[in-house]
Amino acid sequence: MTLLFLLLAPLAESSACLMLRSRVLMERVSIASASLNFILAIILVRDVGRYQSVSLLRGFLFADALSALVILLTAFVALVCSVYAVGYFRWDLRRQTVTPGRLKEYYTLTPLFVFAMFLVASANNLGVMWVAIEGTTLASVLLIAFYNRKTSLEAAWKYIIIGSIGISLALFGTLLCYYAAAHVVGTESIEGLNWSRLMAAARDLDPEAMRLAFILILMGYGTKAGIAPMHTWKPDSYSEAPIPSAAVLAAAVLNCALYGIIRFHILASKCLGTKFSSGLLLWFGIGSMLTATPFILVQTNFRRLLAYSSIDHTGIMLVGVGVGGSLGPFGALLHMVYHAIAKPLLFFCAGNVQQKFETAQFRRIGGGVLKVMPVTGVLFLASTLAVTGTPPFSLFQSEFTVLSASLQAQNLWVAGIFVGCVVTIFAGFLHHIGHLNLGSARPGAARSDSDWWRLSPMLLLASLTVLFGVWLPFPLLNLLQQAARIVGGTP
Amino acid sequence: MFYDDIQFGTRMITLMAAGMLVTQLLIVGQRLLPTSIRLFSLQSFLLACLANTVAYFNHARHIYIAAFLTLLLKVIVMPLFLNRIVKRTSETTEVQSYLNTPVSILICGGLTLIGYMVAHPFIKPHQRGHSTLAVATALFLMGFFLMMNRRKAISQVLGLLTAENGLFLAAISLTYGMPLIVELGIFFDVLIAVMIFEILVYRISEIFDSLDTSKLRRLRG
Repeated sequence: MTLLFLLLAPLAESSACLMLRSRVLMERVSIASASLNFILAIILVRDVGRYQSVSLLRGFLFADALSALVILLTAFVALVCSVYAVGYFRWDLRRQTVTPGRLKEYYTLTPLFVFAMFLVASANNLGVMWVAIEGTTLASVLLIAFYNRKTSLEAAWKYIIIGSIGISLALFGTLLCYYAAAHVVGTESIEGLNWSRLMAAARDLDPEAMRLAFILILMGYGTKAGIAPMHTWKPDSYSEAPIPSAAVLAAAVLNCALYGIIRFHILASKCLGTKFSSGLLLWFGIGSMLTATPFILVQTNFRRLLAYSSIDHTGIMLVGVGVGGSLGPFGALLHMVYHAIAKPLLFFCAGNVQQKFETAQFRRIGGGVLKVMPVTGVLFLASTLAVTGTPPFSLFQSEFTVLSASLQAQNLWVAGIFVGCVVTIFAGFLHHIGHLNLGSARPGAARSDSDWWRLSPMLLLASLTVLFGVWLPFPLLNLLQQAARIVGGTP
Repeated sequence: MFYDDIQFGTRMITLMAAGMLVTQLLIVGQRLLPTSIRLFSLQSFLLACLANTVAYFNHARHIYIAAFLTLLLKVIVMPLFLNRIVKRTSETTEVQSYLNTPVSILICGGLTLIGYMVAHPFIKPHQRGHSTLAVATALFLMGFFLMMNRRKAISQVLGLLTAENGLFLAAISLTYGMPLIVELGIFFDVLIAVMIFEILVYRISEIFDSLDTSKLRRLRG
């Protein structure tokens, strides 16, 4: 039943917010519902740990460890964002950059967005999963166009056009997968695209169709995940969306899109052998890392910097899944967890700075953020170190795991490029964010930090990034191992 | 009688698929937006008829529902939507492309060839209307080409919708459609997508005083 409640709660929240008039009530409803979702996700994790997988409504909804992981992370990101959003939008309202009507749009659309993401991870049917991934795009377009500036409309337009092309490629891929299975599983019933059915019959699928299907899926969902060269919408959307939505896009939608790719990867490697799909994932992963690196070095806007960092992290996760072995998938999923904690933090820091200085350009701020906003500044530096994979922060662990997986697979050139990119990105990031935070502030900037609505979720995230690097709670570790086995093909 | 004759069914399917290809080429060559929308409506009508024919000859009942939805949404509702946008934004009704018509048509010829090449491994001679997959792939590719080649926001949406038609055609010709719930979901998504496109187009025309998307070029790097 947990799965059903997980899907119903956001829908209820959305309709409640549609009817509510008062802003304070909408804020409370959104935090309450996000906490409820998070608790439900934890219950789901417990159930999955106990029974391996749960299914509901005659197999329409289905969750194994991999889905539970994605749902847990989505619920977590949505929760921290809902708290941060309160302070963020109150500031915007005071500055009159948004109207109360627009704000209602945010509180109505965000739960729908979350609902679509939960559906992505809990749908058994790959067709329904496609519908849900398209749903995430549709629910988020108006969030990207939120501020109604010229630039945000441009970003939203690019997002929906590129997203639609990608998603129709993915539909074609899903279709071919259905075709590949038609002669085994039979058509005309919903079961023909059910994940559990397809997995059971994976060896008998038509290999020719499956090969093309996987390529199309990788291009299609890869657009949604922002894999190079389909990443071009990402910097625009991430820099134009309001911070809470951008953080959800970067830390939760990314996981859902990768989830779609990974599902098909498991299917394809069972049908075609591991070489084909792993090879493609590896190429695209390395390609994304290589594409992101130069843009990070020359970036002038810190919101766009974050987007390129997200492209780089997508690459790291793909490389992890691609190199395979006993460590690769585990490293990739571990990275997914750590990334979902560190990325929102980075976005929140960027949001605080952007609201205070009313720009996201490095040059127009100059430096000295640390002096003007002490807490945000410290967290900004810390999260930069975290995201670039510096010890003692947790992302070092996962990046190191992926690296050792590629060494274990004796993929020396992958390991080489990987290290090269990570080091260069570290240098670039530190250069930009260091300049932004250190040094002396421009005269006239009053010393005041953000309010506690914004700072408290950030402090929580910061402590989790450090804590989870040295100690993972046992249920989470168990879930990760279980999920890694599923990705590795031995559930 | 002819309506029991499978040969006849195959010919009808091929004929209608060819008709869809022709309408797509006409859309590519068309310079007036209202006419393009009418052509899209015609193409969707052909698609609905084709779906009905496939449903009839293969006794696949759930395709009737999809065909009906195509008729309702793509032949009637969406063209109305699009026409309303054209009227309300009071833009000039010419489409404006990056490439001129002869070059565009040539490229589309090439795309059709690619469609046939991609579809080749999946074609089984005994399957009814076996060239439909090739036509579907060609429609799909040309839809993308339309999206890239057009400057105006609405004609880009139109390109997407024709690509969507190609997908549906592929679904019918490969596997006689998808499971019903998936098809319903897809229709629902497409409908919402068009509505969101409409909202965005209004906002763009309000703020930019134009629907020329080549003016959307501030975000770089």
